[in-house]
Amino acid sequence: MTRIAVYFLIGYFFILVQTVLLPHLLPFQIKADLLLILVIYLGLNEHYLGGALLCYALGSLFDVFAGSQPGLFGIALMTTFLVVRTVVGRLNTESSVLLLLMVFCGTLFEGVLIVFLLGTFADTGPMGFMVLGGLLPQALLNLAVAFVLLRCLVRLQRRFFPRSLIPGLQHLGSRHGS
Amino acid sequence: MLDLFRKYRIPLLAACLVLAALLLYSVHLRRQERTTLFERGVLQLTAPLQKGIDRVCEAVADTWSRYLWLVATEEQNVSLRQENSELRGRLAAMEEIRLANERLRRLLEFREETDLPALPARIIAVDASSWFRTVVIDKGGEDGVREGMPVVVAEGVVGRVIRLAPRQARALLITDASSAAASLVQRNRIRGISRGQGDFLALEFALRQKDIEVGDAVVTSGTGGVFPKGLMIGRVSEVNRGEYGLFQQVTVAPAVDFSRLEEVLVLLGENP
Repeated sequence: MTRIAVYFLIGYFFILVQTVLLPHLLPFQIKADLLLILVIYLGLNEHYLGGALLCYALGSLFDVFAGSQPGLFGIALMTTFLVVRTVVGRLNTESSVLLLLMVFCGTLFEGVLIVFLLGTFADTGPMGFMVLGGLLPQALLNLAVAFVLLRCLVRLQRRFFPRSLIPGLQHLGSRHGS
Repeated sequence: MLDLFRKYRIPLLAACLVLAALLLYSVHLRRQERTTLFERGVLQLTAPLQKGIDRVCEAVADTWSRYLWLVATEEQNVSLRQENSELRGRLAAMEEIRLANERLRRLLEFREETDLPALPARIIAVDASSWFRTVVIDKGGEDGVREGMPVVVAEGVVGRVIRLAPRQARALLITDASSAAASLVQRNRIRGISRGQGDFLALEFALRQKDIEVGDAVVTSGTGGVFPKGLMIGRVSEVNRGEYGLFQQVTVAPAVDFSRLEEVLVLLGENP
């Protein structure tokens, strides 16, 4: 329960960063999707039910600060989590590149899912073309940010909490943290 | 049957969750003009944090631009640097005050020009996603703001309020793809709908044989139920008539520079 609360608070913090801090740091429209990176990390480590509900809650929170359609990111993030969770069960999670690959593919998947949901349920005009047009730069930006986050996290953990464990980052850090 | 359920427990559970989420989403879509209690609560809870972080960011950016970049000069001439830094600091502060003054004066002039009562507000956050165009302002229900109210600046239309909390609100920019405003070409009163395209707008439903030229001003027509008549939306930047089809494709560059938006006015009067 504590772990879930911590993840939720991290997600909330990421949303704050995306709405207030990133626009100051990055002068262009596309901004890194930190919450998606967190959801994909959860997909590598969390159980189906708890993780899916947590991702839905985080997505619903994200909906308050993004777009005009409540529930959109709730479904998108939960489905992304479920897909990542299912795929991860069939892959070698010892690979440090896995998280980065998942972030790249997860961004593309979430984008396509958003286009599908908007096209099927809502009248949002040319939104589909806009999202598809910006998907590749968004995926590359998320990939770069995930790489930096991973390096920083593992280094911080080794320096300040050498005896504690961050779930899932030990084997991932074996290549990125040194 | 029970064995089958046990065997496919996880896929079934996942499918149920996705279906439930889809159901909630489609229910919300029908009532999307209203702010839910959850949204109001989260916005209210988050606004002080967003304001705080925004102020810290501005302070850090201010300190950085005024002082830190002069560190290299210090090595050459310490006394000159100190004097220079001080003067530049004052100049930067005065320039900032002058710019703010200019922006606010334009807003004030616009407020006096318009018949409707207007409430000045500051933008404290932008949309969390890359795909949508919304902003959070520091005025809400307690200040008289209501959902659907137009948000403007002196240069033209900014958008409309879509979510409301007691002390803050979220506005959908006119450049968002889900935003549409009834408009007309100012020169010859040709009607159309200005729909957001991300960074620009498209004037839809303008008949192909109608005379629209690059540079024409596009204003609100007042018939859409949100914006009062005559507010500037932008200028025609491209016209493509094509050989076939009923309508021409008209691109409109917004009058407002959304990347530099800091203060806005919420028009509090009744919708037209």
